[in-house]
Amino acid sequence: MKFVIQRDRLLASIQDVMKAISSRTAIPILTGMKIEAKEDGITLTGSDSDISIESFIPKEEDGIVYVEQIEPGSIVLQAKYFPEIVRKVPMNAVEIESDGQLNVTIRSGSAEFKLNGQDADEYPQLPKLHSEDSFELPADLFKNVIKETVFAVSTQETRPLLTGVNVRVQDDQLHFVATDSHRLASRQIPISAAFDFQNVVIPGKSLTELNKILDENQDPVEIRITNNQILFRTKHLYFLSRLLEGNYPDTSRLIPNESKTVLQIDTKELLRSIDRASLLAKENRNNVVKLVTQESGKLEISSNSPEVGRVVEEMSVEEISGEELRISFSAKYMMDALKVIESEQVKIEFTGAMRPFLIRPTDDEDLLQLITPVRTY
Amino acid sequence: MQSKGRAIFHVDMNSFYASVEMAFDPSLRGKPLAICGNPAERKGIVVTSSYEARKKGVRTTMPLWEARRLCPDLLVMRPNFDRYRKASSEMFKLLQEVTPIIQPVSIDEGYMDVTDCSHLGSTLEIAQTLQERILKELDLPCSIGIAPNKFLAKMASDMKKPLGITVLRKRDISSILWPLPIEEMYGVGAKTAEKMRTLGIQTIGELAHKDKYQLKRIFGVNGERLANRANGIDDRPVDPEAVHSFKSIGSSQTLPHDTTDDKELDKLLSQLSKSVEKRMQRKEAIAKGIQLMIRYHDRKTITRSMKLQHFLESADEVFQHAQTLLQKHWNGEPIRLLGVSVFDVAEKKEVGKQLDLFTYEKEAEKEGLYKAIDDLTSKFGKNPFRRVQASTSDEVRTSFQKDFLDDYKK
Amino acid sequence: MSNWTEMSAVQPVVSKMLINSLKRDRISHAYIFQGARGTGKAELSRLYAKSIFCKNRTGAEPCNDCKDCRRIDSGNHPDLHWIIPDGASIKNEQILKLQKEFSYTGMESERKVYVMENADKMTANASNRLLKFLEEPGAYTTAILLTENSQALLQTIQSRCQILALQPLQEGQFAELLNSEGISQSSARLLSQLTNNYEEAMEISGQEWFAKARKLVVQLVEVLETRPNEALLFVHSQWMPVMKDREMQQLALHLLLLWFKDIIYLYADRPDSVIYIQEKDRLENSLRHWTRQRATDCLQSIMEAKRQLDQNVHPALVMEKLTLQMQR
Repeated sequence: MKFVIQRDRLLASIQDVMKAISSRTAIPILTGMKIEAKEDGITLTGSDSDISIESFIPKEEDGIVYVEQIEPGSIVLQAKYFPEIVRKVPMNAVEIESDGQLNVTIRSGSAEFKLNGQDADEYPQLPKLHSEDSFELPADLFKNVIKETVFAVSTQETRPLLTGVNVRVQDDQLHFVATDSHRLASRQIPISAAFDFQNVVIPGKSLTELNKILDENQDPVEIRITNNQILFRTKHLYFLSRLLEGNYPDTSRLIPNESKTVLQIDTKELLRSIDRASLLAKENRNNVVKLVTQESGKLEISSNSPEVGRVVEEMSVEEISGEELRISFSAKYMMDALKVIESEQVKIEFTGAMRPFLIRPTDDEDLLQLITPVRTY
Repeated sequence: MQSKGRAIFHVDMNSFYASVEMAFDPSLRGKPLAICGNPAERKGIVVTSSYEARKKGVRTTMPLWEARRLCPDLLVMRPNFDRYRKASSEMFKLLQEVTPIIQPVSIDEGYMDVTDCSHLGSTLEIAQTLQERILKELDLPCSIGIAPNKFLAKMASDMKKPLGITVLRKRDISSILWPLPIEEMYGVGAKTAEKMRTLGIQTIGELAHKDKYQLKRIFGVNGERLANRANGIDDRPVDPEAVHSFKSIGSSQTLPHDTTDDKELDKLLSQLSKSVEKRMQRKEAIAKGIQLMIRYHDRKTITRSMKLQHFLESADEVFQHAQTLLQKHWNGEPIRLLGVSVFDVAEKKEVGKQLDLFTYEKEAEKEGLYKAIDDLTSKFGKNPFRRVQASTSDEVRTSFQKDFLDDYKK
Repeated sequence: MSNWTEMSAVQPVVSKMLINSLKRDRISHAYIFQGARGTGKAELSRLYAKSIFCKNRTGAEPCNDCKDCRRIDSGNHPDLHWIIPDGASIKNEQILKLQKEFSYTGMESERKVYVMENADKMTANASNRLLKFLEEPGAYTTAILLTENSQALLQTIQSRCQILALQPLQEGQFAELLNSEGISQSSARLLSQLTNNYEEAMEISGQEWFAKARKLVVQLVEVLETRPNEALLFVHSQWMPVMKDREMQQLALHLLLLWFKDIIYLYADRPDSVIYIQEKDRLENSLRHWTRQRATDCLQSIMEAKRQLDQNVHPALVMEKLTLQMQR
């Protein structure tokens, strides 16, 4: 294998790929980075086995030549040293060459490094995704969907499936659902797909990593699913994640379809009010706020910390209807939910002080947040 | 009992947060200052304020805009809790130099029993010296109440602020305490005061003379206790350990022989967890941290703890986490003793229970009952169904302040 | 042993069962491979894993050449997880990792294989976590627990696994195997007495020390028979300097033990069982010197000496005492 490559372009790819490499892995070869040279360009691969990232550097793009003198081949290099070497070479052109004995030479200007490589055949073979189950979303929309749901996944390993986001395609609707069993976030997007699938559960951590790598733009992200991995593909980046195994609980039955008290309220106002109410509560261990409907048609939002004092605030609402209500809930869950809602107003539907309540943007039926209250003793 | 001839101080820091800020930045002195949750926010609220601000009508939990309206030149700062903790710890160290019998009750107040401190001078002299030292060395003002018991000392410290020293003797009760309106009595909240007024009790004196049985019937044991206090009776000792009794709840036991047997250890852990659960129930408490103590055959002892996201309540939960700690930290050597304790303890009523999406229906079935309790609570003040056992115990406060009531000892 | 033909020669029953499971595509979710040290539990697991993952399998035989087979040998196969006790027990952290792996899909395919060595070293907590998986195994997941004693595993775990008992190695078979690997027949016989472990046997046979020890054993017996008064001197000047550590001492005493066992075999008229076949003449001499009873006494003294070595008694003291006992 041999090629000469532009350092800056190589570095950018290395940085993406390094996000998947961990020094603490049970599979020795994964401490390395795979480099594969083909006629049309260079592919770098990194993986911690949970996620894998491939970055492709085309030989030439938009008239700029990135790679020259390509002799196809592949090798695995220690990720501990390779990026540092590339960062510190003196010239912008870097030549990387391996002989048949896994010896690798990196040359730039008058500097020459010799590294021991490892056989690329030892590296995991990432699934070839020829499956038909694919669809596309613009990157910015997809980032938004991640933001709207992933915060609600569980961080506890007791129910591993809940650490993931459930993705379904059903009746031309793409559903994302996350719950930690205390609150639930759900987003659906209409898509045109000629297939249905159920029960794909993507680890929340993988989506958080993916969100960091995706750029905020309209470029399409192609999503493909196989039995064991899911692929997110942008122009030059492949992001693969293993899935969580098992049957995700049926969450549709958790969403109440009747309500006894309905509010419509300014999103930001409510967020700020909860934030204030939780101010004293946070210093205490107790981060619970109380919401009480008033006869005047206003809301009272309060929290009580025996030492510091009590915060009470009256809030006017856009609309209120139904039974009177007195309910306590976690300020954090409420704020998490409100923070991802961009619409000016939210509609909150309660069915009683001990039952989960629904929060929805008024202008978007496809986003839904569900929170279970706190029972006060 | 020891109620005869005791000399109790209640030391109460004046406008503590604001005073600490002024000590830190003397240019603030003499100015109206408010410590405020989030001054940048249009609707921040006042956490505490200096006397200069109070004179203008600024009150704790008042919205900032209102405070500014009352006091246009109000200076506003964010709270620096670390700073307050440090000052508090310094303050308690000074108290400690007078006597070890001190009972912190919050970040800025505490009781001292100086009955046996006559070698340091008269009680009044001791109080004066202490107040001067706190002012001189820490630049912080305090008020001290001197009385034969905790309740009277507390009432006394409140009578002259800032920098007051008030002696309240038993014989002064009728002239000093009794004329006060009932809501000024420590332990009487707004709701209780309102109810007392409907019973024709306007002053502490009227409470002192009210029929105890009637009070007991209406207010429960608390009514009787309040009546006693109004008569200047309060037996509670100054208990330096009171803080601990709520800070952590634990249980430990030595094994009949050193062992490495998993099953035996699990059995003991399970017993200890049940005992911890019982103690938590007795205190109507739940906890967010758990600690495991392992003593090995060679008496080498380790303690390992972890903080949890949710509150622990049941023996099962305690056991599960204690077991995790054991598995993680046990080095495999024979074990002689295990101890399980929970910390970061809070009162149940203060916290509530986060319901679960998949199981909430179990709780929701009881919704009617809880609503009834709620209604009664708003009607009669404290939850009338709370077990009496817990309410007879000392007035326990738990809050962020509780965690470091002990810090001065470090 | 990287193929089923070789494995079948050593472990015919178990091999047949596993080969059948592969041919009928009925791979269990959980196995326990039970067998004494050296019976080849790990080798068997590796071979089985290759047969499961190899895409060029012929019948049950893996190709041993494809990426899957090669990475199983190098430890880089991403869907084969090999758990070895970290110190005295299988640590919680290892089980947590395993549990996480259980909850994820495989990396290259849906197939996953877990091998746990010394599975009896799991703590109660670890066992319970494993049990959870065994109760609801993933569709294409296989766990193989290796143990010398399956009874040491939780009953509930045993009942959820297919237990395969490996045969203790036949000494003759093992010696033949060593012989076929180029070790002289006499050495192979001795080595097969010292260990059941192929690698260990090969390692010992390659050591210069092993040849010396054999010579010293024969010499010590000779000194005891002809010049018993010089025996102590011989032990101090010749024996001790060569036996540098306890392990060597143990093996050398074992060699000595075998000599006296041979004497007994000859008395019992079982010449086929004799180990020191190349020392026929010297054994005949010994037979004249030691009565059957004296030889039995010596066996006991040697076994006692071996025990003392295990209990950390100083080797020089142990040898002195033994020599005095055998001089009588």
